[in-house]
Amino acid sequence: MNIRVEQPAVEVHDLTVSYQNRPILWGVDLTLPQGALVGIMGPNGAGKSTLLKSMMGLLPLSSGYIHLFGQPLAQVRARVSYVPQRESVDWDFPASVLDVVLMGRYGKLGLFSRPRQSDRDIAHDCIRKVGLENLAHRQIAQLSGGQQQRVFLARALAQKADLYLMDEPFAGVDATTEAAIVDLVRELKQQGKTVVMVHHDLQSASRYFDWLLLLNQRLVASGPTHQVFVPEHLQEAYGGKLTLLAQMGELMKQGNYPAREK
Amino acid sequence: MDGWLDFFTFRDANVRYVTLGAMLLGGSVAVVGVFGYLRKRSLAGDAVAHAMLPGICLGFLLAGQKSLPWLVGGAFASGWLALLTIDWLPRQARLKEDTAIGLVMSVFFGAGILLLTAIQHGGNAAQVGLEDFLFGRAAALVGSDLGLLSGLAVTLLLVVVVFYKELALLSFDAAYARAVGFPVRGLEFLLTTLTVLAVVAGIQAVGVVLTAALLVTPAAAARFWTHRLPLMLALAAGLGAFSGLAGAWVSYVAPAMPTGPWIVLAASALALGSFLLAPGQGLLARWWRQRAHRRKFAEENLLKLLYKMGERRQDHDRAYQPADLPTGQAPAQLAATLRRLRAEGYLTRRGPGWQLTPEGYERGRRITRLHRLWELYLTEYLRLAPDHVHDDAETMEHIITPEIEQELEKRLRRPEFDPHQNRIPYD
Repeated sequence: MNIRVEQPAVEVHDLTVSYQNRPILWGVDLTLPQGALVGIMGPNGAGKSTLLKSMMGLLPLSSGYIHLFGQPLAQVRARVSYVPQRESVDWDFPASVLDVVLMGRYGKLGLFSRPRQSDRDIAHDCIRKVGLENLAHRQIAQLSGGQQQRVFLARALAQKADLYLMDEPFAGVDATTEAAIVDLVRELKQQGKTVVMVHHDLQSASRYFDWLLLLNQRLVASGPTHQVFVPEHLQEAYGGKLTLLAQMGELMKQGNYPAREK
Repeated sequence: MDGWLDFFTFRDANVRYVTLGAMLLGGSVAVVGVFGYLRKRSLAGDAVAHAMLPGICLGFLLAGQKSLPWLVGGAFASGWLALLTIDWLPRQARLKEDTAIGLVMSVFFGAGILLLTAIQHGGNAAQVGLEDFLFGRAAALVGSDLGLLSGLAVTLLLVVVVFYKELALLSFDAAYARAVGFPVRGLEFLLTTLTVLAVVAGIQAVGVVLTAALLVTPAAAARFWTHRLPLMLALAAGLGAFSGLAGAWVSYVAPAMPTGPWIVLAASALALGSFLLAPGQGLLARWWRQRAHRRKFAEENLLKLLYKMGERRQDHDRAYQPADLPTGQAPAQLAATLRRLRAEGYLTRRGPGWQLTPEGYERGRRITRLHRLWELYLTEYLRLAPDHVHDDAETMEHIITPEIEQELEKRLRRPEFDPHQNRIPYD
């Protein structure tokens, strides 16, 4: 199943992404509606983070293109905000909560210019929204995992974007943080923003999201949650990898074959 | 004493050159080193420094004499090539980064030694002194060198100031930097060039073998003292400059001593000192905290013991002699613990014995309560066997905060008995 929408926030067309010549995602086509909470789900190694990183322009594409709000990323970068996985950085870095959240303003500031008072105000405001106002000057290494995740979220909020791409924001966080993130994301939706997040927990999926993507090396299903979240699609997504696909990927890696002849 | 005075008045022009040069180098190289340290690329700096030797030798061969611009140009070119190779190899050849660093360092340095040996046996009289680039020649710095060095140092510092925001983000979260549209490739290229420039400056003073120490050591030392990046940069610069000063001074008062290695030794001493003495993260501070914890545990255990002895006798108004207290502590230690508790107001003396004050009674009762609450929590919520919970509670009773205590009481619905049927004492 692949439900298409008009004027999508995200349009992925014939996307293949490879790592060391081995395709991780094969020929993905999909559209995501604006103003939706979208969950990307699938088993380990299904290519969830890969899809998100591709949307953010962080990986070279073997084929296809991605348009955000109908345009390539470079034209709409200011409207897109990214929350990487918490483990992707070293939290022992000498910076405070405020320092990191201010980084969310860097894209708007561009090169060379320093954060202004207005940027600082916005950063403090976002720190308040994630409930860390008492820790604004705390060193980031001294935060709990959940608090660190909220710092990343505040940094993304400080970008004042229309589309938020979040890579496993619920991974390894406490109940307080999970509740805080859910509230925030729903508030974003009410403001008409689009949120796309990689998610692991099947139990909460139908409560959190109104649009669901199921991946397993390829797109299994994309559509409103109540249509996608059915045993038939879940079985196809979680029922094991396609062995032939995996074998071909392995051959391409070993033989250094390109994904497209070009 | 004359040595001191002569040195620090800088009357001697040579002293002035050497000292200023060493300080500028130490400071500016350290600032660039901070970013290498934060990106966990310190080892790459070492490889780059070693990789400059063939460039220096080629520069000499091309110029036919030891002309500084040629030597520096050669060093810059081969150092830069080395760092680019270190970045390129893991991407293309599927080698791990440490392998790439090791390969590049040994291949370039080997080639350099080869060239150096060939030059030394080549009969060109101008080659004398070229081997100084191995271990540095700070003591031979002259006025014109200083001009070049200060130019380099000021450039490094300026670029770091101008690109501070970009370099900080690149070091913390390169993927995010790319996501907000920063030219990450360009910035990495800039940082690479800065590192090579810093090392070029450094080999003048301390040689290709030791320059990495100037990159790494002040940064590592500074990290112990602060959690803020601007302060860390300033501290690293200060420590680097001070090391330069110290090296220059040692080689002045003891002319047989080489400047470069002393700069490195001074920096290492500062790093070692930071490791030992820094507040919070230093070894001494940690040791001190552990000692405080041990003392607190011993004190609270004693108060708990006295409370429980009173509980068993149903008589809390009794004094005990130290010999009657089965604490497991050595007599001298026990005496010290007793004295501290008395000074803190938890114990009082009665004749030869010791007795709980009302405050001590309350604290002993609280520790007993926490112990029994935690035991119950473990058996009820973790389903541990009652005979497995005592040891864990022995530690937790000292750590549980009043908030967690409240939560425990709430979750267990203010229970009356612990898993061993001992009554849990409340206020």
